Amino acid sequence: MRDKIPQVSIAIVCLVLGIMLALQFKATETYEASFLPSRLEELTQKLNVLTEERDTLAEETASLREKLSNVRETDEAMADLQEELHKANLAAGLVALKGPGVIITLNDSTRALQPGENPNALLVHERDIIMVINELKASGAEAISINDERIIAMSEVRCAGTMILVNWNKIGPPFTIKAIGNPDMLESGVLIKGGYFETLKYLGLQTSIQKEEEIEIPAFSRTIKFSFGQPVQYTETKEEK
Amino acid sequence: MGIFIVFCLLIGLIIGYNMPVLLPVIYAKYMSIAILAALDSVLGGIRAYMDKEFDNTIFISGFIINSLLAAGLAYLGDRLGVELYLAAIIVFGVRLFQNLGIIRRYLMKKY
Repeated sequence: MRDKIPQVSIAIVCLVLGIMLALQFKATETYEASFLPSRLEELTQKLNVLTEERDTLAEETASLREKLSNVRETDEAMADLQEELHKANLAAGLVALKGPGVIITLNDSTRALQPGENPNALLVHERDIIMVINELKASGAEAISINDERIIAMSEVRCAGTMILVNWNKIGPPFTIKAIGNPDMLESGVLIKGGYFETLKYLGLQTSIQKEEEIEIPAFSRTIKFSFGQPVQYTETKEEK
Repeated sequence: MGIFIVFCLLIGLIIGYNMPVLLPVIYAKYMSIAILAALDSVLGGIRAYMDKEFDNTIFISGFIINSLLAAGLAYLGDRLGVELYLAAIIVFGVRLFQNLGIIRRYLMKKY
């Protein structure tokens, strides 16, 4: 019995060492694997986006030319003006939109605070939200809302103590970010390797992203005022081409 | 004895891989230092076993305390802004190779 003790304790210690090694392997594996860039996929996607953009621009040129000739004929000018107004409203975010897209949720970490650790490490900050919506914009989102606050050109996302201000409305966690656009494109844009969303996940925040067939994003509910800015008279120079 | 150790290590690896726990990246660094210390303890234990001077208390306490101490030292180093984990790596690395050398000599004598 006596000379069995060393073997048993070496066995137990080896077991524990094995578990530690496996945990470490798993940790480094996931960390490294997630940083191996799948460049090919990224570049293909970029190419697709650019091709699409080029096509829409070409279409736009065609429709602009057509409009120009319409204006010259003056009969259909009014209808064109209506259409232009509709487009401007869409661009300004004054119309509620629905369509396919993604829903992202961000929430504070449920991890217990380590002694000496900064409690800020466990919270969702306004910069996290800004980075995520920036990523969405870069991935071709057409409309974005945070907790049903529509993001327009002049929307702020700002820290206000324990809450976050969006369009001068206070919102708190959990944050639901909805974006309309190509769901695959939006998802891969947000989940890009080494991107910000990944960092949030590593920091232990509760994150999720979900592709949806149809989501609805409300219109901007406040008024847009221009107290200081005045439009500069622009002259039609395109006609000369 | 050798097969026995490898077998236990394998079981540990399998258990670890199937554990639903994922180590956060911030702790991975400390874990690596702790593993180095643990590896040193195990090799030291095997050497002592071959030297016939194995002491169970020293072995177990050395394993636990060295691991914790090494990880704690690395943590303290990070707080202080000194790369103290290098000290742990050097000390344990040197001892690891010494122990390995002694074990190798024993094995060569044996076979």
